[in-house]
Amino acid sequence: MSDKNIVECKKLCIGYEHKSLTEPFDIELKENHWYGIIGANGTGKTTFFKTLLGIIKPISGEIRILDSSIGKHNIFISYIPQERELNTNDITSAYTLILSSYKAFKWGIPFYNKSLTKRVDEILEIIGASAFAHKPFNNLSGGQKKRIYLAQSLINDSKLVLMDEPLADLDPDSRQSFLQSLRSIHKETTLSLMMISHDMHEIAQYLDAFIHFKDNKVHLCREEPCIKESAYVGV
Amino acid sequence: MLEYNFMQNAFIGGTIIAVICGIISYFVIIRRTAFAAHALGHISLTGAAGAVLIGFSPMAGLLTVNIISAIIMGFIGDRIRKNDLAIGIVLTFFLGLGAYFLYLYQTGYSGGVMAIMFGDILSVSTNQIYILLFLSAIILITLLTISKPLLFSSFDPTLAMAKRIPIRFLSIVFFILLAITVSMACQVVGALLIFALLVGPGAIASQLCDGFYSSISLSIAVSVITVWLSLTISFYLNLPTSFCITMIICILYSLSVIKNKLSSNAR
Repeated sequence: MSDKNIVECKKLCIGYEHKSLTEPFDIELKENHWYGIIGANGTGKTTFFKTLLGIIKPISGEIRILDSSIGKHNIFISYIPQERELNTNDITSAYTLILSSYKAFKWGIPFYNKSLTKRVDEILEIIGASAFAHKPFNNLSGGQKKRIYLAQSLINDSKLVLMDEPLADLDPDSRQSFLQSLRSIHKETTLSLMMISHDMHEIAQYLDAFIHFKDNKVHLCREEPCIKESAYVGV
Repeated sequence: MLEYNFMQNAFIGGTIIAVICGIISYFVIIRRTAFAAHALGHISLTGAAGAVLIGFSPMAGLLTVNIISAIIMGFIGDRIRKNDLAIGIVLTFFLGLGAYFLYLYQTGYSGGVMAIMFGDILSVSTNQIYILLFLSAIILITLLTISKPLLFSSFDPTLAMAKRIPIRFLSIVFFILLAITVSMACQVVGALLIFALLVGPGAIASQLCDGFYSSISLSIAVSVITVWLSLTISFYLNLPTSFCITMIICILYSLSVIKNKLSSNAR
């Protein structure tokens, strides 16, 4: 596993407008690590993601992402929000959706060559989505849709994926398939994963560390007692 | 039929407009901006009536008013899907203004405004064809520059915003392209029937095709064939062209829905 920093927060204080949700905190996140983000509702977990994406400005402090200031490298950050509005037609396939997201931040016309479609096929293989990628996106189950979102992250060579409650509203089988996809990605790529979840005890064994939001404080922890306490707090 | 000069012009003008409408209507469908296309069609009346009132050509008036409305819609509308309210307000304002212009013009009601309402492809002049070519070039060059981020931000605005794609800017640019296309299409189908060419071909393609290029190709094909067929029918049977266009589009759309339902039952 790499020792390179992917995110560095110094005396960071996050919140909306002038209402801060946290006291200033310092955190360093490494490349190719899988982080779980835990804490009760309203403690600032989603706000932290939005701050990393530059959608919300930090109240004070500094964030460096991939050695640059916020917003400079958003093309390398993928975001899987809790709720997502998609405008696909009835027959728009998941495959088309993945292709449309390829380097979509560049100007020009969409161009899909053979090496791109080959790469998409490889990614679908890694996340176990080959069987349903050509079906209409609207007909897929919640878990299948989330695996397609992961494929979108991978096709753009993202370095960091932010997932907000990806396991919520998934049935047990879908959860297992989705976690299996995440484990494959973690093993076969250098991607860093950050995941907000209320059910951390189920996946704690796969994670490298936790970011714990509690009592306006934020800290990084690997300790078992802290995880257990947070799992309890989070439910 | 093609030995007549007015039919040659109608076919050339109609084909240019059909190709552009085919492309734009695909984006109208995936961006859910059918209401905007409809509203801009109605707003065209105000532009045309206003221009006639002060002695300008209806085309110049509707192009100006449509582009101004498109920019306002893009600015005050928030992301796609939440645009309806903004469009409704802009539509109401300009329609009110249009009603006033027509009231002022009561004494000499203009055939020009009537042509804008229902379309008059058979009166397209060579000069107008040059204008259509120029406007098409603007639309195509702009689309060649923005269609990749436009496609993605249409499908997935949330992720597009997270990726810092300028979705508001793209929305305004698209509204302007839509405004230009509506202004062009008014000549063929008229402001009141604008839905036919600006929504129909894209809606039919979205029932039958999945990929970007296949959908746009089918949309263009539907649009062009409809216009050609309508011009031919209207010439031989002496029917209004806009009537033929709307009927053909409605029949094709019904067939595409049936085909889609049959396919989804088979899936």
